[in-house]
Amino acid sequence: MRVTICIGSACHLKGSREIIAQLQSLVREKNLEDQVDLNGSFCSGNCVNGVCVTVDGQIYSLKPEDTKEFFDKEILGRL
Amino acid sequence: MGVTVDVAYKSLNKFSEVLCGDKVELLHTDDSNIMILADGMGSGVKANILATMTSKILGTMFLNGATLEECVETIVETLPVCQVRQIAYSTFSILQVFHNGDAYLVEFDNPGCIFIRDGSLVPIPHSMRVIRDKKINEYRFRVKKGDALILLSDGTIHAGVGQLLNFGWLWEDVASYAVKQYRLTISAVRLANALCRACDELYQYRPGDDTTVAVMRVIDSKPVHLMTGPPKDPEDDLCMVKDFLTGDDTTKRIVCGGTSANIVSRTMEKKLTVSLDYYDPDLPPVAYIDGIELVTEGVLTLNRVLKLLKRYVKNESVTEEFFLELDKPNGASMVAKMIIEDCTELKLYVGKAINSAYQNPGLPFDLGIRQNLVEQLKHAVEEMGKTVTVAYY
Repeated sequence: MRVTICIGSACHLKGSREIIAQLQSLVREKNLEDQVDLNGSFCSGNCVNGVCVTVDGQIYSLKPEDTKEFFDKEILGRL
Repeated sequence: MGVTVDVAYKSLNKFSEVLCGDKVELLHTDDSNIMILADGMGSGVKANILATMTSKILGTMFLNGATLEECVETIVETLPVCQVRQIAYSTFSILQVFHNGDAYLVEFDNPGCIFIRDGSLVPIPHSMRVIRDKKINEYRFRVKKGDALILLSDGTIHAGVGQLLNFGWLWEDVASYAVKQYRLTISAVRLANALCRACDELYQYRPGDDTTVAVMRVIDSKPVHLMTGPPKDPEDDLCMVKDFLTGDDTTKRIVCGGTSANIVSRTMEKKLTVSLDYYDPDLPPVAYIDGIELVTEGVLTLNRVLKLLKRYVKNESVTEEFFLELDKPNGASMVAKMIIEDCTELKLYVGKAINSAYQNPGLPFDLGIRQNLVEQLKHAVEEMGKTVTVAYY
């Protein structure tokens, strides 16, 4: 599964770094390194809301505090 | 032949003085680069005024084609007379290197210019000329790639006098240290800094005199192209990228901006890979496009680049610590390092599109300031003595 987190200017200011750090540690915790491929991307053109995260082509808007819930639902839920 | 130069200088103020009594002017004409170092008599405000006037007069008159006699005459007539010593006095050195390889050195009462070629010292012959009672040394010669020319104020050769060294740091010793550092450093700024640091140490960090080292290194031309921001009209994408990609294989290219990077990647049909490695919590990670030296985020990175460049131009804070900052692997340090140390002329390709998502008052930083940043960047780099051109799209 390919998860792409936008690190463009706007998303950076909205907390991409924190989200990436959380996702990286969650993936490590569950030993999912082989199944979940975390990537960065520059502006995906959806900067108006939260940090733009794409899972297998589907776009989500994330706040750092929602990361755990997002991981459980959208990432674990799809595996 | 197309000679280009890398110029930089570093000054230490006399201990407890706020102003420096040495002044360096870096100028360029259509066919030459000029470096002027003036050392005003005394220290503090008075010396600063004398040195500033001398270097400015020389610079302005030289740029407008005045002869050396006219320049010296004007300085003698213009400088304010010191009340204590009843003379108007500032030493100066002028070094002009033409793009065709001709060079012209004028020295008045400063320590002699250090001329390094092929890793060893080249003596500069004396050919004195007297203008208005002033003995002035003139030297015309040719430069070639790899040469380094170093102008000094007398604070360098007085370093440590009466303290660590009986007679100060003798010119011969400064010169041989310069030769050693010449081999260890690549850019003018690191060479200037290494020499100044040695002086500072000999002074035990309390310089007894204003100390200045100004370095000119003859190098290959190193053009850098920097693209930032998407064009106002998306139809211009292709044309902007095409312009950005002009140049030969010595040209280095930087893209600063997420959307710009996407445009370049799309146009070149090369994959854009974004790294997730944060080397600095305040800056987004860098990215990679095959064929582009450096790809970074835009406005946040440029803002930091500008801070570094301004620090550099202000000169006082260029210390070892500054170089440590410059050597860091984050996007802004990498861009600043390339502009400071690996660039003789900078071409900026700037898109004027406004990103609607940036017009968001909820963001803690005004992202809509690209053009303002670019203007400031241009001024800072010009102050370094490099040529800057800006094209807007």
